[in-house]
Amino acid sequence: MLSSYLTPETTLFAEDVDGWRDAIARVSAPLLASGAIGQEYIDAMVSSIAAGGTYIDLGYGIALAHSRPENGVVRTGLSSLRVTPAVLLNDDPAHPIDLFFCLAATDPNGHLQTMMELANLLSDDELRTRLLAAHNAAEVATVINENGTTK
Amino acid sequence: MKFLAVCSSGLGSSFMIHMNIDKVLKELGVTGVDVDHTDVGAVARGDADAFFVGRDLEEATNTLDNVVVLNSIIDLGELRTKVREQLEAKGIAIPEGDAA
Repeated sequence: MLSSYLTPETTLFAEDVDGWRDAIARVSAPLLASGAIGQEYIDAMVSSIAAGGTYIDLGYGIALAHSRPENGVVRTGLSSLRVTPAVLLNDDPAHPIDLFFCLAATDPNGHLQTMMELANLLSDDELRTRLLAAHNAAEVATVINENGTTK
Repeated sequence: MKFLAVCSSGLGSSFMIHMNIDKVLKELGVTGVDVDHTDVGAVARGDADAFFVGRDLEEATNTLDNVVVLNSIIDLGELRTKVREQLEAKGIAIPEGDAA
């Protein structure tokens, strides 16, 4: 479940982040600290973004940073970071990001329930707007819990 | 009938597109469409009847046929329109013709 991954420890907020590399380092820090990923996973994400991997931009100022399981995933994990002001992904003006997620997946299908909830949450106009407007982890948790009850 | 969502890693964006296609098909009341997700390195022409990708993969997938490019991975309105177009192009009946 989404709420078991996005906890007060993994739901982060930051002001004046120093570019997208700093944002990736910050959003992945809780997963690194908990042992869900190794440093190589962060390096792999940064490398793929630097190589033009703006595919992690989902739209609406939201990015889902992730790499492949073999690049250092120990167990499934998810974290988020709301940045103010927005950060340009790969310094590209076409990709301003307000909200970063970091996904660590152990295999392509094993996190189905979590991805279903995340897709539902981010694709719902009202919930997404409220998620982007949340100021702290408690407000994010409220939105996530409502997401769980709507579907 | 098969729809395949494709992204670079095969488990992030493509998984979300897959989930959203499932949701749209359910809304439309359409059954019998197989949906899955994979990475761009593993996909080949003929693997599906339509391939759904984010706009950043438009060039990388230009060897496939019938590629549907999405401006946003999480714009359900856009996906709804494009899934409907694919279904209509394939002659698949849409029970909920005016579903929101």
